[in-house]
Amino acid sequence: MSKLGQVVEAVEKYNQFVLAQVKRARSDEKFGRELINRWNDTKAKTPVTHTPTGLPLPRLALPEMYLEPVRKIETGNYGKKTLADGAKQKADGNGARPPEEPTRLFSGLMLAEDTNERFHYLTQHQRTHRLSTAFDGPTLYGIDSDADGVFGKIGEGGVAIDTIEDMVRLYDGFDLGSPNFSASMTISGPAPIIMAMYIAAAKRHFGSKVVPKLRGTIQADIFKEVQAQNETIFPIEASLRFLTDMVEFTTREMPRWYPISISGYHIGEAGSTPVQQAAYTLSNGFAYAEMFAARGIPVDQFGPRLSFFLDCGLDAEYIALARVSRRIWAIGMRDAYGAGPRGQLFKLHTQTSGRSLIAAEFKNNLTRTAAELMLAYMNATNSCHSNSADEPFTTPSEEWIRLAAHGQAILLEESGIFKHTMNMLSGSPGMKAVECAVEAAILDEFREIERLGGVLAAVEDRFQRSQIQNAAHRYEQQIYDGTRPIIGLNKYRNGEDVAPEIKLARTPRKKQQLQVDRLAKFKKKNAEKATRALDKLAAIVERGENCFAALLEAVEVCSLGQITGCLQEVVGRFRPMV
Amino acid sequence: MTLPIRILTAVPICDGHDSAINTINLEFIRHGIEVIYLGYHRSVGDIVRAAIQEDVRAIGISSYNGGHIEFFAEVVDLLRKRGASDIKVFGGGGGTITHDDAATMRRKGVDQIFFAGTSLAEMTDYVRKNYGMPRKTQSRTKSWDIELAWKLTEIEDGLAKGKRLTFNAQRSTSKKTIGNRQSAIGNAKVIGFTGPGGAGKTTLIDELVLRFLKQNPRRRIAILSHDPSVVGEGALLGDRATMINSQNDRVFMRSMATRGQAGGLSPATHDCLALLAQSNFDYVIIETVGTGQEALPFQKNGIVDLTVLVMNPDYGSRLQLQKIVMLDLADIVVVNKSDLQRARTAHSEIEQRLEQNRRDQRLIDTVAKRHRDSGVDRLFELICRDERSRRGKARNKS
Repeated sequence: MSKLGQVVEAVEKYNQFVLAQVKRARSDEKFGRELINRWNDTKAKTPVTHTPTGLPLPRLALPEMYLEPVRKIETGNYGKKTLADGAKQKADGNGARPPEEPTRLFSGLMLAEDTNERFHYLTQHQRTHRLSTAFDGPTLYGIDSDADGVFGKIGEGGVAIDTIEDMVRLYDGFDLGSPNFSASMTISGPAPIIMAMYIAAAKRHFGSKVVPKLRGTIQADIFKEVQAQNETIFPIEASLRFLTDMVEFTTREMPRWYPISISGYHIGEAGSTPVQQAAYTLSNGFAYAEMFAARGIPVDQFGPRLSFFLDCGLDAEYIALARVSRRIWAIGMRDAYGAGPRGQLFKLHTQTSGRSLIAAEFKNNLTRTAAELMLAYMNATNSCHSNSADEPFTTPSEEWIRLAAHGQAILLEESGIFKHTMNMLSGSPGMKAVECAVEAAILDEFREIERLGGVLAAVEDRFQRSQIQNAAHRYEQQIYDGTRPIIGLNKYRNGEDVAPEIKLARTPRKKQQLQVDRLAKFKKKNAEKATRALDKLAAIVERGENCFAALLEAVEVCSLGQITGCLQEVVGRFRPMV
Repeated sequence: MTLPIRILTAVPICDGHDSAINTINLEFIRHGIEVIYLGYHRSVGDIVRAAIQEDVRAIGISSYNGGHIEFFAEVVDLLRKRGASDIKVFGGGGGTITHDDAATMRRKGVDQIFFAGTSLAEMTDYVRKNYGMPRKTQSRTKSWDIELAWKLTEIEDGLAKGKRLTFNAQRSTSKKTIGNRQSAIGNAKVIGFTGPGGAGKTTLIDELVLRFLKQNPRRRIAILSHDPSVVGEGALLGDRATMINSQNDRVFMRSMATRGQAGGLSPATHDCLALLAQSNFDYVIIETVGTGQEALPFQKNGIVDLTVLVMNPDYGSRLQLQKIVMLDLADIVVVNKSDLQRARTAHSEIEQRLEQNRRDQRLIDTVAKRHRDSGVDRLFELICRDERSRRGKARNKS
């Protein structure tokens, strides 16, 4: 049986264990009393907060007494709160430092200095600086701004990064080693190269002592690229190898870095059902864990460095999707992978659904996003990005980004829903019903993948891809025939399709030319050194060694495209799946 | 009868958003259009080259990652530069292409932009109405690839109308007759690839092309690839989408729908192949549609120098092998996906099966999806070696 099969078994066993314990609590008086005493202890220890109107509320809501045995058993070894309620909430409110704002805003436009300016604008009133970086198309595909036909795409949809010099400009003025700073980079295909550039850029600014202090995450999720997003540049196995090289480095040298963000977001956006999203994301995560373990990285070293990224749309499943995922991950990591408590944590970043936003009467997108935010926080996400209402048209403009960010602030700070009692809405019978149904459906998906020979085999078989495409097709069909109401589109349609007045964030030609010129200058300056660095890199890859150290050297003198080209020469290019 | 409209669809470079185009492709083929799908992340050069070689009436581009104004304009410009401005460019990008953008793009020569909310039926109607007319022939001199592409169309459409064309190329090399392989047509070596669907023929060919191109910087290759279709219906000609090495100026590729013919080839294959073989290529590669037990695509033609049968290790029981007649005819049998568990058994069963034939047939294991696969290297060597022996023979004869 593969690891995924073991996970399925572990979850089933766990559910049986819970049932057995409940039975025992009912029949075994002593055991039942013990549980009640524990319940009383917890209740006594739970801090009380006061609402602005003076109402006292516990930080943690405990279920009613007679339900408590179930509840407490469920918490098992997984910490003090219920398993589904969240990985790492700093709930006690007295002592410790206050929690970080979970707000993380995605941004990236034009050239590095433009994005840098946007970053400073976004964080001007924030205590913690959590920057989330979007890259332009050429960067995502690991090619340079001077490549054939990419001129118009320079700086479109994200920031253009060709060289370490761009990377230095990108985060200029931020204290990269500070505990209040973290960088997130949304890139997968060329992730190891971009990671090397980030580290090298940080070193240029702050010296090599900064490396162990660097905080943040890079997406680096190859499986979901192949399954859904099509931004893969090396053959799958080579991509996974470079990824593992990077993970080996960061888990050793950068204990605060999350070297992979296992992403369901793009799977969801590509059209999967919520259950498929969770099932493929979790199984991808388990496959990565298996791979890292096979490389010899201890599970308690890489386990705590894995994080997740899920989509949150408006379907009913989202009421509990992340909660169920959290539970399956914890059980699987504990029982199938032998991870300790920290390695069982499901650290989650959520983004509201971009697919749910539409162009017609686009201001309705504010409401959609608000509802999704509510669902995301009901699932106790550790951080969240709220989409801007203008996203169907363009990279978000400042006005709409601000509204999106304020949406989170209103929900978390202005409203009392999540402010006082952290698990305000968890554990309702309805939510429990969704949890059960979703869990059973996810385990079914696991069994299917297991039957196909595991995640890698299923990916190569295009299993997830075709399932996602089918679901996407059904979704479109439902919009078309009206069984899926989309307000303003197929229901309550206003009739006229007026193009909205939106200020578009297009990159001016002048800037695009500047990027190309800079790149030419960089290449000219480093021509000789680049050849040597690339030869060395190629030799190391050829020998099958960990190439990350060589990447760190290469990025000093080579462009992204040069490095990609060099690696592709040795390992080949990704052959698209259609 | 009306001939199918041929169009090319693609997603621009640095753009992996292929779900819209996948849906649109299916709608097009349902309405009798032959769609050559180039895939996602494709450069301007790749798109224009493919459009010319495939002699399509229009290019549909689905762009969701920005930069569309420049990208579409570059496609239009390059078409003009290559003398192919009769090929129209249309496309869409949901909400990412604004009305202002579309106006700019039209000014730059783009034919039509579809906005979010356009129904599939509207798009299909537009294509049928605007790209269904016969091309107005241009008198001025054409580049060799346009000329070749047009001739291939003439052959294909002529046969569909029941006319067999005698084309000029045949006359110009009058000594060489078609239909009898023993007399070489031109200098090209013609290699036929056949085998069941999903065995990896396209990937294997693409990997061989990489080796051909690398081995000799002047080598030129033609590929004639087939996908099934029914008479009067559309077809999805999608081999190009998974080919990464064959998008090259030294490769001329043509995708053909079988238009109702059984056996894995099109009614026009024979004549098209003959034309390509005379057109100054070093190699002409022909790929059949996925074939079953009965298909003997290259038996009658006799214009194929070397037949390669690509097998999937999962062919079923041993008895099934007896039924595959191509095993008797192939010069080389390839067991692709030899990394699969079943491959060793497959190899030995096929080996035994070939021994019955008592011919000098070769059996090679490959993993075509693997970069620099040693099995593909061996196959490549074998093909090259065979060429030397054949040319040697030809010389001896003369």
